[in-house]
Amino acid sequence: MNIKSILQRILVWTAVLAVVVAVVGGVVGFIIGGMPGLWGAVMGTVLALLFGALTALSLMLAINVSKGNMISGAFFGIVLGGWLLKFIVFIALIFVVRDLDWVNPIAAFISIVVAIVGSLAVDMTVIIKARQPIIDEEPVDESTWGRPSSRN
Amino acid sequence: MDTATTLLAQLEGNIATVGYGIAAIGPAIGVGIIVGKTIESMARQPEMSGRLMITMFIGIAFTEALAFIGIATYFFMV
Repeated sequence: MNIKSILQRILVWTAVLAVVVAVVGGVVGFIIGGMPGLWGAVMGTVLALLFGALTALSLMLAINVSKGNMISGAFFGIVLGGWLLKFIVFIALIFVVRDLDWVNPIAAFISIVVAIVGSLAVDMTVIIKARQPIIDEEPVDESTWGRPSSRN
Repeated sequence: MDTATTLLAQLEGNIATVGYGIAAIGPAIGVGIIVGKTIESMARQPEMSGRLMITMFIGIAFTEALAFIGIATYFFMV
């Protein structure tokens, strides 16, 4: 399993986690705080998991742009630039969400913490279960399993 | 003496801003160390880039988790 497939699997499971946390948090938030609780939980989950998933997305984009040459300015520029941009947008959005009347801030905060810890658990589980080879080389041609086609 | 004491003790605005500042320092140092060490390791063993990249991803994910929680604490709980 190479890096791209690991990152894709992380993104898929993060999306599943987002749905689960939004539904469970939304129900609990609605029971405790009514509609503001529901919206707070949904907003918190979306914020946390959207920005959590952006790291994996920026890594995939960086691998594509740098064409596998990871020791390059483009690669680390995209990963770290994406990280910086993500935090600026996160702070701006959270500043807006905090002042909304129809969002319960405590529900949003609890769902952000749960979603972030859950996304860490998802990342770790996927990576532990992924059988990544030490030397990561993609086969030249998938139909020949990496062997030159002339030998078939 | 009284005036000096009063001036030193005077604080206006929200002290939670300092909390956000501290929450920003840690992840910055953490990500710097993670990325720097990953570059160093890749330069030593380029064939292990894939594994190093995934390890770097885990490191960044854990570091930014602290930052997200710190920033959210400042904005939502204060």
